[in-house]
Amino acid sequence: MAFLEVNDLVKDFGGVVANNHVSFQIDQGEIIGLIGPNGAGKTTLFNCVVGYHKPDSGKVIFKEKEITGFKPFMTNREGIGRTFQIMKVTAGMTVLENVMVGAFCRTDDRNLAKVEAAAILGFLGLDSLRAYHLNELPIASQKKVGLARALATQPELLMLDEVASGLNPKETEEMVDLLKKIHRDKRITLFLIEHVMEVVMPISQRVIVLDGGEKIAEGLPKEIVKNERVIKAYLGEKYAKSL
Amino acid sequence: METLRDAFDFRDFSKPEKVGFVIFTLFLLVFPWLGAGSFVKAVVIQFLLFSLFGMGWNTIGGYGGQVELGKAQYVGIGAYTVALAMVWWKIPFWVSMPIGVLIALGYSFIIGYPLFRLKGHYFAIATICTSLVLQDIFINWKLVGAAKGIELPIHEHPDFLYMQFKSDTYYFYFIMALFYVAIFYMNWFRKSKLGYQLRMIKEDEEAAESLGIDARWCKIKAYSIASAFVAVGGGFLAVYNLYIDPYSVMDLDLSIKIALMAMLGGAGSMWGPIIGSAFLVPLDRFLGSWLGAHKGLIGVDFMIYSALIMIVSAYQPRGIWGIIEQFRKR
Repeated sequence: MAFLEVNDLVKDFGGVVANNHVSFQIDQGEIIGLIGPNGAGKTTLFNCVVGYHKPDSGKVIFKEKEITGFKPFMTNREGIGRTFQIMKVTAGMTVLENVMVGAFCRTDDRNLAKVEAAAILGFLGLDSLRAYHLNELPIASQKKVGLARALATQPELLMLDEVASGLNPKETEEMVDLLKKIHRDKRITLFLIEHVMEVVMPISQRVIVLDGGEKIAEGLPKEIVKNERVIKAYLGEKYAKSL
Repeated sequence: METLRDAFDFRDFSKPEKVGFVIFTLFLLVFPWLGAGSFVKAVVIQFLLFSLFGMGWNTIGGYGGQVELGKAQYVGIGAYTVALAMVWWKIPFWVSMPIGVLIALGYSFIIGYPLFRLKGHYFAIATICTSLVLQDIFINWKLVGAAKGIELPIHEHPDFLYMQFKSDTYYFYFIMALFYVAIFYMNWFRKSKLGYQLRMIKEDEEAAESLGIDARWCKIKAYSIASAFVAVGGGFLAVYNLYIDPYSVMDLDLSIKIALMAMLGGAGSMWGPIIGSAFLVPLDRFLGSWLGAHKGLIGVDFMIYSALIMIVSAYQPRGIWGIIEQFRKR
């Protein structure tokens, strides 16, 4: 039985069909990449799974429970965490407090939440940033805080929307290592939207490709880069040849 | 236990804050014996009352970041419950006030449930509307005195059960006690799970939802807490003034003042509503009585009042407390 199953999902924004009969499955412990050109419907697909959008038809099944149309906070409580492509950069709360809010998802005790949050910041190597506010941090750190916040809710499936966008090559490499560490040590299934090939190709065990709202390919990274439709739609022949 | 410890734990405040708080408390304790006139006493009582209102508003408006402009309806509910219970059934204040709070809580859940489907400006407008509707009902409702309002029966002798005293001092100490209960409550609240969740909702509601926070339910809870606070103040207003009508306790003017004082002082901070009230209540009263007495200067007090608010909010959106913190950081 699949861990996350998306069945024939359709999301129509009145004329623009963002997701057109998309189906796929994810097994527990996998790392899955979701790629596709701009406007392919990747974020919409995420939002449909997590509950920011209600799918027009189709089903989302998580751990054998149908969660179609659940609100975001409900899917989170089921065990799905997510990060955002663009984080709101705010000045009202410190990094530690941000992560504590995540930890409060599983406990009512403030001290416990604090301990939990500190542990996660330590795990991600963010100890030194505890007292800063989000608006005082560089973008790479902001993204890591977003990651820490989501991790604090103790998800079993973590959905990452472009964690590497806006990062330089060195930061990207760090982020990849961090994702590997999360996957390895916390045994969390990762599902990531990614534009940066340096992230998606080395860590994904399977890749799903969307174009124009439809799933056009699915398979191992090696196969995907050789797939004609994918190359045409998205990669450009140059990158495919270089592999 | 944990809750109580949090409420009385002020350790995470800075030293000036702690010292200021102690001095302020001592001042309040001896204030009635300083020989202030009845006008000054009335202003200080008003200051404590509006601080109480402001702290209540601060839960949903400050920590939760929702522009809530309908608190007057809950002042009204608190005040009318106390007044009517006394006039109709001679129920003592100490019984009717909690009942008023319970009614306010129930009503706030009923109103809050649909209200928090709305966001931003639409929410703000809707809060104003709910309050105006209730005021209109009371203006036209003969049974509860309609526009004429209700006069509370004055007892010949001071009566603790009905909170009737000859001297303002008793009222002063009573509202002061409520004020401190509110401070301890807020000191707990800002460290509570709900407090953290509300701040997250204010920061970024979408992200809050992704962290397992039921934003709407959190807001409803905070709205109800705020309503309960304000209803306590309303109950006090009834026994203090011994007369209420829909214009004095349910007016939009009152709703806006409550929100404005908290915002001017610093919404979402512990001391903001108190500072705002300490600033605006005396200003309001003194300017009103001083300028209002001069022919041709009527209305000038409102102009000064508004100008100050505009200056502060243009300079620092986090209010007076925001300005203080800004200077401290340097």
